[in-house]
Amino acid sequence: MRRAAKTAHPWRIRIFKVSPSELIPPFYLWIGLLLLTIFTLLPFLYLITSSISQTQEIISGHLFPDLPTIQNYLKLFQGDIGNDFIQALENSITVSLWTTAVTIFVGLFASYALARIKFPFRVTLLFVILAMQLLPSISIIVPLYIMMREGISISIPFTSMVILHTKPLLDTTWSLVIAYIATGLPFAIWLMTGYFQSISKEMEEAAYMDGCSKIKTMHKIILPLALPGVAATAIFTFLNAWDEFIFASAFTQTYASKTLPIAVREFIGKHSIDWGLMTAGGFVASLPPVILSLFLFKYIVSGLSDGGIKE
Amino acid sequence: MQKILTASKKERKDILFAILLLAPTLYLLLRIFILPIMQSLVWSFFKYNLMDGSAIEYVGLRNYVDISVLNDFWISMKNTSYFTGFSVLAELAIGFICALLLNQTFTGRSFFRGIIIIPWAMLTLVNGLLWNSIYQPGYGALNNILHQLHLLEAGTNPVWLSSSTNVVFFAAISDIWKMTPLMTLLLLAGMQSIPASLYEAVAIDGAGFWRKVWHVTLPQIKPSLLIALVLRVIGAFRVYDILTVFTANPNTSVSYLTYNFAFRYFYLGRASAMAWISTIFILILITIYMVLLKRQQKEQ
Repeated sequence: MRRAAKTAHPWRIRIFKVSPSELIPPFYLWIGLLLLTIFTLLPFLYLITSSISQTQEIISGHLFPDLPTIQNYLKLFQGDIGNDFIQALENSITVSLWTTAVTIFVGLFASYALARIKFPFRVTLLFVILAMQLLPSISIIVPLYIMMREGISISIPFTSMVILHTKPLLDTTWSLVIAYIATGLPFAIWLMTGYFQSISKEMEEAAYMDGCSKIKTMHKIILPLALPGVAATAIFTFLNAWDEFIFASAFTQTYASKTLPIAVREFIGKHSIDWGLMTAGGFVASLPPVILSLFLFKYIVSGLSDGGIKE
Repeated sequence: MQKILTASKKERKDILFAILLLAPTLYLLLRIFILPIMQSLVWSFFKYNLMDGSAIEYVGLRNYVDISVLNDFWISMKNTSYFTGFSVLAELAIGFICALLLNQTFTGRSFFRGIIIIPWAMLTLVNGLLWNSIYQPGYGALNNILHQLHLLEAGTNPVWLSSSTNVVFFAAISDIWKMTPLMTLLLLAGMQSIPASLYEAVAIDGAGFWRKVWHVTLPQIKPSLLIALVLRVIGAFRVYDILTVFTANPNTSVSYLTYNFAFRYFYLGRASAMAWISTIFILILITIYMVLLKRQQKEQ
């Protein structure tokens, strides 16, 4: 009886049967994937369709514009609005690149030491760095604000000799670079230490045998092997700096120093919201991280699974 | 100390080299992280109002006492807990299902794995703006779609972001949209390391979907599940960006309230005290996270 039913509907077996090593039958799998795609892409598509709509059409409730327009994008890059927006774009690029460069350069040495050299308090230091990585920005925003307000002075340790005293740094992109290094450096070190630890020790010891110095080994053997990990860390640092909002909104009030999130936030006017312009700005601001993540998906995933997640 | 004194010459050289490599990092972190956060602890015991010109004076625990009797603080605490609990649990549930789906073998898998990263990569602030436009009464996409599906009666037009509870609920939805991909990828990494033979073994006993999940998947990914959970709680607790788009009401989260005390009224002493309450709370979670992490490393 059962056998007859089976032969009568072979398609039924095919879409409801599951192989022993799998969990979900094909039928439910594709229903799930359909829902997943809708849930993931629909809001994003709405952002795009809004950005090519005239405000009039959005206000009258059209989800898809009858008359698509690129006017919002033209407005974004022209006139007074354009000047401010392009300035914000430049600021975001400057801040993110400087943050990434300094963080990776300084962090590389520290993570090499933490991963490769035995010294007292090594594990304690690693855990302190992990804790710093996980603390929220709100924990240090007040003292950093005062620091930026008064300017930073660099003195020789244990003496009162001041080498350098900067001007107040509020409303400069430097204030953001410094704040992002403070939060980004522990994160980068934590990630890169993990990568360095995953490189086999034999390679390094073989290099010593051949008479390589410590610096040379680090430069010639370890660094090339760790490069994918360093690249992943650099992407994360860049994305975090690009996305950051709370420091930026506290430290920068002038258009000369504002970054993209702040500039986009300001499209919400006091009385009305220009949805078309705002969504266009939001789309442009999100485009670099989205493209970067899609192209470097492999690195991002390896970075995530190695335990370094911030936001 | 004992170790350093008894170290051999080679070991001492190693330690020196490590200090050299660590020096720039230690200097930077001390200067722009450790000392500032300690400074803020000191200020939390002072009356320090930046804008009204009053003197900075030591007030002992008064800032903390003031906060503990402040109604706004408890409301914001309640809202933050609600936001964190709701969004993290939903992300965990949806992320688990998505990870199960994406862990199967099927054509076009890398496409589906790729698209889920889009919400995560978007700017947090733009995410807030996007969902704010979706929730708008009248022309917003949510009401629009609900009308078209006849789930809302034609004449009705609810204002979704009316009360602070609603704001927190709808902000959590947008956070779920953005952060579920992260949870999915984390759990997926855990699931990929489960050997197929385990599933095949229970399949011989005739186990279906639920028994496979209950007896194989869940016990196997429990360590990464716990770690992802704690990490997301730490991440969700600091919510600020989305709420600042949705509402001008700072009671919707502790971060928002702290920010307002600091940069709207410039009550830096009180803001520092409030920031330290958050810091201590997060430090407790960090300790739990470290214990879990150590246990996982031991098991491997």
